[in-house]
Amino acid sequence: MISRFRHLLATITLGLMGAGINHAAPTGMVEIPAGEYVPLFTSPVDPASVPVPAFYLDELPVTNAQFLAFVQANPKWRRSNVSPLFADQSYLKHWVGDLELGSLAPSDSPVVHVSWFAARAYAKWLGKRLPTTAEWERVAAAGYTVSNGREDTELNGDIYRWLARPTPNVIPSASEARPNQLGARALFGYVWEWVSDFNTAMVTGESRADSGLERDLFCGSGSVGARDTSDYAAFMRSALRSSLQAHNSTSSLGFRCARDLEPSSATSP
Amino acid sequence: MKRLLLSIGLLAALSPVSGEEPAACCAAVEETAPLSARSLYQLDATFTNDRGKAVSLAEFRGRPVVLTMFFASCGYACPLLVGDMTRIREMLSSEVRDEAALVLVSFDTERDTPDALAKYRDERDLDAQWHFLHGNADAVSELAALLGVKYRKEANGMFSHSNLITVLNRKGEIVHQRNGLQGGLEETAQALIAAAP
Repeated sequence: MISRFRHLLATITLGLMGAGINHAAPTGMVEIPAGEYVPLFTSPVDPASVPVPAFYLDELPVTNAQFLAFVQANPKWRRSNVSPLFADQSYLKHWVGDLELGSLAPSDSPVVHVSWFAARAYAKWLGKRLPTTAEWERVAAAGYTVSNGREDTELNGDIYRWLARPTPNVIPSASEARPNQLGARALFGYVWEWVSDFNTAMVTGESRADSGLERDLFCGSGSVGARDTSDYAAFMRSALRSSLQAHNSTSSLGFRCARDLEPSSATSP
Repeated sequence: MKRLLLSIGLLAALSPVSGEEPAACCAAVEETAPLSARSLYQLDATFTNDRGKAVSLAEFRGRPVVLTMFFASCGYACPLLVGDMTRIREMLSSEVRDEAALVLVSFDTERDTPDALAKYRDERDLDAQWHFLHGNADAVSELAALLGVKYRKEANGMFSHSNLITVLNRKGEIVHQRNGLQGGLEETAQALIAAAP
């Protein structure tokens, strides 16, 4: 009952943002059909691609207003209450107060300055979870009009223009963001996003990975090679993930939630 | 038969240290006092120990703790880590040694069942001060995030992982981490002694 109410809240907030959805997915989410993820780095024992079962993904990143509803309902996640173990000092620092957004945090802009722990707690509160790296990257690999985003020059132009811009003081609303072929929007252009397994991005891709010290720090099954060195944005995401700790929060890092399909719909073709 | 012997051995070994009645050492910190802001015992995830009992990390409150994440079928680093924990323990004074908890939490949520962990303990003849914990994927990932441990399941079922030995004080705060497989045991032992004044 309570979670239904929470869901309703989230629905209303999203509805205000004018998100139009034609899927049978929960409101504000899109159903991502089963597909595959081609990891950026693979060790010799890894397969070239990983199957990703169908799942639901939030159409847009979580907004300040949505996150405010969460901290209103969960006092331990308010800025002045949160444990330093779960969020660092920059947690929600762009908000005016514990329960006040202010001009640096427009209500329908993606929330930033959130830690992995906080993002996870938000998702749990709504009966959702964070997407895995495989899920997130599988969706981000799609173009606006073609299934392989790498072949979509318009999409790539947008990505590179975004990467070239410094992070603005005020993150703009993503409500007008163009959907990709899978229906997800604002996967780039606004904020970077947490994934549930951010801390699996290890030796892979870090420049220090080849040093003797690093080999000693990790027990692994061998050297790891990059599959495709031309996907610059994916490398940046990978480098970001491996640089993060779970209590960190930054001015350009937000998140969106995912959910498993209900068993009944998971079996549909 | 082996399991039966193990159970008897465990019962015998457990009673003075971590049986149902708390040892004198552990009554020192009041369990009801609020946890400190940096206490890992705020983690509300539940694990299962190798006796099949549900435990939270807060169970170790009041004791100095050496905590390492590992997996039982690991052929390279994990045996070294367990060996290092043994050596750290040997460097302690008898008082600290007797109350320290040596905790191993497995990454391998599928294969390292409580039974598998009991077998691991049995094969290495590790006494009741060693605690083996199995958790679900959520619990393991939250604990790893708190400790700063990175890990990844490989396609062959093995895990790549940080080699990190963490020392917690009586309040459950991280007071030292030994990163890697080389050296640092003396410092870790000293941290443990300092954590148990």
